[in-house]
Amino acid sequence: MYRWLCLLGLISLCGGCQPDSTHSEAYVFGTLVDVQIDDLSEAKAQQASQAVFARYQQLHQQLHAWQAGELQQLNTAITQGNSSIPVSHTLADLLQHAQQLSVQSGGLFNPAIGQLIALWGFHREQFSPVQFAPQQLQRLQAQRPAMTDLTITKDVVASRNRSVKMDLGGYAKGYALDEGMAILKAHGVKNALINIGGNVMALGQHHGRAWRVGIQHPRQPGAMAALDLPSGWAIGTSGDYQRYYMKDGMRYCHIIDPRTGMPVQTTQAVTVLIAPQGHAGVLSDVASKPMFIAPEQASALASTMGVFGWLMVDQTGKISLNPPMQQRLTWLHPETARHAHLVE
Amino acid sequence: MRTWLSKLRPLLWGDWLVLLLSLGITGWLWSDWGNYAHATKCQIRQGTHIIGTYDLMQDRHITVKGTMGQSVIHIHQGKVRFEHAPCHNQYCVQQGWLRRAGQVVLCLPNQVSIVLLGESGFDSLSY
Amino acid sequence: MQSISLTITDRDRQIAGLTTLAISLHLLEATFPSLLPGVKPGIANIVVLFVLYRYGFATAASVSLLRVLAGSLLFGQLLTPTFFLSMTGALTSLVALWLASRLPASYFSAVSLSILAAMAHITGQLLMVRLWLIPVPQTFLLLPPLLMASIVFGLANGLIVAYLLNGRDARG
Repeated sequence: MYRWLCLLGLISLCGGCQPDSTHSEAYVFGTLVDVQIDDLSEAKAQQASQAVFARYQQLHQQLHAWQAGELQQLNTAITQGNSSIPVSHTLADLLQHAQQLSVQSGGLFNPAIGQLIALWGFHREQFSPVQFAPQQLQRLQAQRPAMTDLTITKDVVASRNRSVKMDLGGYAKGYALDEGMAILKAHGVKNALINIGGNVMALGQHHGRAWRVGIQHPRQPGAMAALDLPSGWAIGTSGDYQRYYMKDGMRYCHIIDPRTGMPVQTTQAVTVLIAPQGHAGVLSDVASKPMFIAPEQASALASTMGVFGWLMVDQTGKISLNPPMQQRLTWLHPETARHAHLVE
Repeated sequence: MRTWLSKLRPLLWGDWLVLLLSLGITGWLWSDWGNYAHATKCQIRQGTHIIGTYDLMQDRHITVKGTMGQSVIHIHQGKVRFEHAPCHNQYCVQQGWLRRAGQVVLCLPNQVSIVLLGESGFDSLSY
Repeated sequence: MQSISLTITDRDRQIAGLTTLAISLHLLEATFPSLLPGVKPGIANIVVLFVLYRYGFATAASVSLLRVLAGSLLFGQLLTPTFFLSMTGALTSLVALWLASRLPASYFSAVSLSILAAMAHITGQLLMVRLWLIPVPQTFLLLPPLLMASIVFGLANGLIVAYLLNGRDARG
């Protein structure tokens, strides 16, 4: 009897271990933001994370795709055909970078298709099936809104195409990761982890080891794999399971293929691992989208977008990943590992 | 020695079957259970506010008032789920029972989340 | 006055002797150092299995249950958790033996019965632990290693019984 208890004691010992870092959470950008700080006193850590959240609230308003804010003003001005639209330096920088990334992705990352996203019903807090005439989609597609339609200078934006409607949903969370890390560093934080709706960036370490991040299984609750995220690295996942609705047995997710104007139905999830660099956070958000839309070009897109490691789950549940990703991650269930294929 | 061995007949056809089957089942359980890190507690949050951290070994309903209405969370003998939610899509309810450390269910519309605590093997989740 | 007379048959003596042997083995085993907690070779089951082949299921069941009862009396564990744990193990392995003894004897020897009984024994005990003694789900994490040990010891005990029976293994 006591032996049983001892053995169980051993097993359950670590069940209660929780790292003693400071967690702060908030709902921003329509998702859960989690800031974990390790090395400051509780009060100072709270102060640092409050500064981060304050900045996020600002960004959230400024960049909101369908509520009042600077981005909405820009969108209205574009629709009205205004040829010289004043914008803040922040927005100008951000648009320029998004434009550059859009070109790099061959137009697959296209934040100018806000009208399409709205048409499919994703400019709402909650998603449900929508009805629209096929002509509406055809008309939008014929207008071909693209990032290259924009001319962006330091403080003025002009658009050649009135159907451009900016939606930075695939960029803002990553941008916020970079911003958040800069704010934490300015507060003297050496070890922290920020998670914005699944986009995660690490700073320093966690109790003397690398921060460890799980990768969500697209069709099961919980993670399918885990990997170490060293300081300055970022990881992001795009999936069809967070923002979607079902209609006639088909899944319609929020990621729209700009080539067809349709929600992507070929991919369940793409995870990208980004090495430390100037915009690691942005890349962790942006780089997964083109790969999600055009899985057949995954390898080529990964290298043009500056992705270090990637993992992709297609609609049949088959997993493909590149060797650097394979080397870094640990599968949590042998069953999942059996579905995985290496792609050179 | 020879007489001793001659008494010990080799295993029969069915014995091999039993042996292999039982080894197979054990191996299968091992591979499955080896990774099964059960959560011991769960943390329920509404927005930025932590409603509480609860031991999973109990039978209890917790009602949380969110931005849309009341979410009912059911903790039952080592597992937890959203039983009712006011949200439109009911994704959170469809997730069903959760029992592994590291699992997270979010009800974004109502801004209620459940995080299962325990040694999950990672500090955060990319989803 | 009515007097009750009990006739003690040779068979009763044999069963008593075998039960004594089972208890002795059980006591002997208790002195062994345990490599792992919860893991014991269960050599008393050699006797139970032997009795099953020689005298049939009913006798084997009496030997097994008497062994648990007498063993816990000797250890002063009657009606303690240990007693109920042993009883559960004995009962589940008897159920397994009862079912397994219906397998055709030309294909399945004492080794099969021994392995199945050992696995049922530990599974039953663990179920008891999970449901009553330590009701946490983590209990089942112990199942795979314990099952592995039960297969090894079940095999060993089964081979010993097969050796003892030496071909005379028509089940009673």
